Amino acid sequence: MQREEKQLDLSIEAIITRLNELKNQLHAILLKIENEADTLTWPTVLDNFALISAQFTAISKMLSIDKIPPFRNLTVLPLKLSQDRDEDLTQLTEQRITAFSHDLVPDYLRTKPEPDIEMKIHQFLNKANGIAFETAQKQSSAFNKVLNHVLDTINKLREDWESEAGSRSGTGQTSSIADTHTLVSVISLGKGLKQMVPQGVSTGPAGMMVSSGIRPGATGPNSTSTAPPGPQSNPQAQIGMMSKTPTGIKTNIKPASQLHTYR
Amino acid sequence: MESKEWLHPQAIGSSMDSLGAALKSNIIPNKEYLLQGSIMDSSVEVLLHRLRGLCDNVDTGAETFYDQEMCFSIRGSSSSSSMPQLLYLRVRRALDSTMPQEMPCQLRYTGEPELGTGDKARPTIVRSSVDVAVTPSILEYLTELGARIEFEYVARGYMFRKGRMKITVSKIFKVSREGQGSRPEDLVSQSYLVEMSVLAPSGQDAIGEDMKAFAEQLKPLVHLDKIDYKRLPHTIP
Repeated sequence: MQREEKQLDLSIEAIITRLNELKNQLHAILLKIENEADTLTWPTVLDNFALISAQFTAISKMLSIDKIPPFRNLTVLPLKLSQDRDEDLTQLTEQRITAFSHDLVPDYLRTKPEPDIEMKIHQFLNKANGIAFETAQKQSSAFNKVLNHVLDTINKLREDWESEAGSRSGTGQTSSIADTHTLVSVISLGKGLKQMVPQGVSTGPAGMMVSSGIRPGATGPNSTSTAPPGPQSNPQAQIGMMSKTPTGIKTNIKPASQLHTYR
Repeated sequence: MESKEWLHPQAIGSSMDSLGAALKSNIIPNKEYLLQGSIMDSSVEVLLHRLRGLCDNVDTGAETFYDQEMCFSIRGSSSSSSMPQLLYLRVRRALDSTMPQEMPCQLRYTGEPELGTGDKARPTIVRSSVDVAVTPSILEYLTELGARIEFEYVARGYMFRKGRMKITVSKIFKVSREGQGSRPEDLVSQSYLVEMSVLAPSGQDAIGEDMKAFAEQLKPLVHLDKIDYKRLPHTIP
């Protein structure tokens, strides 16, 4: 019995220190809001809230540990009510509560819900009692069925979502630096495009380019008139070859295949 | 007759004056701020979806384009005859119109990326850029001038706008003679090219910060960066 009491004392003390920390934080943020309202920024306020919520989590964690005896089994009873000013209490509560009077006790030591809420609870209880047992069971089973269905749907969606998120982070790479470099050099320098230029239409301009480079005085029409001999020389060579080939019948096949390769 | 000869040079002079004045007062958007990146084919839908949400043309959706770009080189009139400077001009024309031969083209000059003071700290590539709308006869005109085609490619993709920013997501194709572009064997890469650019008068470096902030929103999907094509590894087949 003694040991339990000792443990209770210890845990109460621990809780009190925690609560004091929480109180100080609340105090700090109240001060800030009152004095620095002009310069206060949202991030600082949110930081403070984060601290407070962390304290709350710590306290609720402490309460749920097995070592601490369940406080809910204990009752706090107001032993003395008085309208007079209580100096000790004033000091303890930093002048927030000056007297432990009838006015405050119901608020601070409440054990019952407020009257109108109590009334509502009674109404519901009456209604519940009015229903026949079988219908109640039917309704509750139907309700459970619906709830389970919703739960299943949510769980399935969550699984899908998580697997999708996982696969997305898994595949990771959506862009490659090598591809970027390839593309940029293609559009800026023409890498990989230039080989095909000589066999295309652009041979004409290239030839013109040379002729105009050698003779700066050459005009446009002049250079176009000089260009045709280039392509013309090719057919001439082919005709020459053809005139050569008929001399020997045996070699007839060979030049024909050669001709094909040039086409 | 005499008055005509007298008027002509003055007309040119006055237009040159106004151009000079416009240049001096910095109202000509002759600088391009550019960020580049790429996205793999498998993820391009995700990027397009995100861009649709982020950009201005939400209601109309993305604008598509299908352009051919030809890069010409022409020898500039340099004072030192030993090293005539090569100028690069790009002609771009739309292939998706009903009459591609009659549509106006775009002629574009872009300078080298600037290496000015504090360029390392700059968030984007900054290069000079001049765009002119021209008639399709520009191709013959350039050829007559002695310009030589260096390379050409086809770009097909989507364009988005966000304020002054232009974001393009495009596939680059080699030009094949039959059925231009869009054949899988003409693909340059298994990724889409992503470019974010703004044309602005020089000195407006703040836009670079805006672009960087927007590029951050596309991470980790795409990493848009300033890419110096001169320092790229030369391992492209």
